[in-house]
Amino acid sequence: MKNVAIIAQTKEGQLNEATTQLLSFVSKFNPEKITLVVLGENKLSSVGSSVPVDVISLSDGLWADTSAVSSLANAVKGYTIFGIKSIQIDNILSLLASCLKAEVVSGVQQLGYSAGVFSIVKSIFSGKASLEISSSTASIFSLNRNFDFSDVSELPAKAVNSTSVLTYSSESKSSITALKPITGSIPLPDAALVVSAGRGLKDPSNWTIVEDLANALGAATACSKPVSDLNWRPHHEHVGQTGVKVSPNLYIACGISGAIQHLAGVNGSRIIVVINNDPEAPFFKHADYGIVGDVNDILPRLTKKLQSH
Amino acid sequence: MKILVCISCVPDTTSKIAIDPSTSQISSQGLTYIVGPYDDYALSRAIELKESNGAEVIVLHVGGSESEALIRKCLALGADSAVRIDGNPISSTQIADAIVDYVKENPVDLILMGKESIDYNSGIVHGLVAGALGYVHFNPVMHLDLAGNDLQLEVEIDGGKMEVSCALPAVLGCQEPIAEWKIPSMRGIMTARTKEISVLPLNPTDSVKLVKASIAETARRNKMIDAAEAETLIDLLKTETNVL
Repeated sequence: MKNVAIIAQTKEGQLNEATTQLLSFVSKFNPEKITLVVLGENKLSSVGSSVPVDVISLSDGLWADTSAVSSLANAVKGYTIFGIKSIQIDNILSLLASCLKAEVVSGVQQLGYSAGVFSIVKSIFSGKASLEISSSTASIFSLNRNFDFSDVSELPAKAVNSTSVLTYSSESKSSITALKPITGSIPLPDAALVVSAGRGLKDPSNWTIVEDLANALGAATACSKPVSDLNWRPHHEHVGQTGVKVSPNLYIACGISGAIQHLAGVNGSRIIVVINNDPEAPFFKHADYGIVGDVNDILPRLTKKLQSH
Repeated sequence: MKILVCISCVPDTTSKIAIDPSTSQISSQGLTYIVGPYDDYALSRAIELKESNGAEVIVLHVGGSESEALIRKCLALGADSAVRIDGNPISSTQIADAIVDYVKENPVDLILMGKESIDYNSGIVHGLVAGALGYVHFNPVMHLDLAGNDLQLEVEIDGGKMEVSCALPAVLGCQEPIAEWKIPSMRGIMTARTKEISVLPLNPTDSVKLVKASIAETARRNKMIDAAEAETLIDLLKTETNVL
């Protein structure tokens, strides 16, 4: 593996933690050079790496147009390309794969490389199962957010070799007419801690107890499908089979019975806490910690306990 | 306008997944199959557009003959014709190539499919198809309207959403709330019987090899805490799990 490209995720112009870990991870494949493709704001002057790093900065990283990706494809032809799953990165990786006629594997949970053959473990059925794949031709990989980077070590910072800027084609056949970022809350897909609530809350006005607990923890809020269907909570908070799939360190489910479609969205969580007044709620079988009780009583008490520390 | 809707046929969301020991792959025994939920949203929107603006809706599926009953259901919902590319695909690239080959021979204006299939969760076929055809690509699309020859879209992005205006031809990955799922009418079921499902061969691939599937076993602690001592949860999270 001579050349490696990483589609980087940045926060305020710097690499986010997952991308930094990915950069260390790929060094075990002994590339000669790594190219970081930075979407959006780029303030990178040095990054943790054992080999020289070039940066390609995309002038407008917000969305990738089919015509725009072809100029990026020319720059990373023949490279092995990695990214960490997000809406934008999967869109770019799939467009790149078609431009480069390269085999792409998405949803990678484990990845090994030996004698020119990749051994890939891909999670399937929303994490309920996994599939081992071997391929000598695959060259583009989208890694799951909960990919296990625990065996990678931090590398010393190295000055960036060179930075080039790619601008998107002006022949674009589409234009953005409005941007509506979700502000003021922790983005759910990235959250390490999540407090989620369901119909057991009875009424949208009761959500303050959920928000209070989330604030005390520094957690994102989420909800079940019935709740977003009832418009009690916004659609982007819906966790489950057809909503957002989360893999936080801690998932606290309040007043959610635990339908199999909801579990499909939370299987990847490290620790699951279930609070429900129905002792028969199926979610308890999938919980690390369970409390049978009224959410209106339990949640404020947990918030108070957290605030007293 | 011609709309191609690509569907996956996947085990029902409540299915218990098991491994077939003879093949080391997911067993299809005892599973009920459905049209992929996201693909179903895409199909529903295509049929709404047909009803409101007039369009020809073609359903495409890459898979074996066992999917014909589900394809027939799509025809009953209002699709005009269907094509099944016959085989058992093993990668997103193989599926995308099959769709691209079909569209090169049978041009369409708009290609819709779900944002991902709920079995393999890759979510990249729409991007692969768009890239290969040079069509506009957006994913996941939550609202889709026609404005003359252009599309008005609302698309989810990381950390929010955006509104987009774009030209045809386009390939869109769809998710709710783009449309409501539909139920076939009796008349739809009757007329679907005579609609055509053409069958084309699938090109083989050897670029990936499926070694074996396994069921993920996540062992949970299943520890119950008395409601009267609910506060101890916070201590346990700190001492036993270090997630806090």
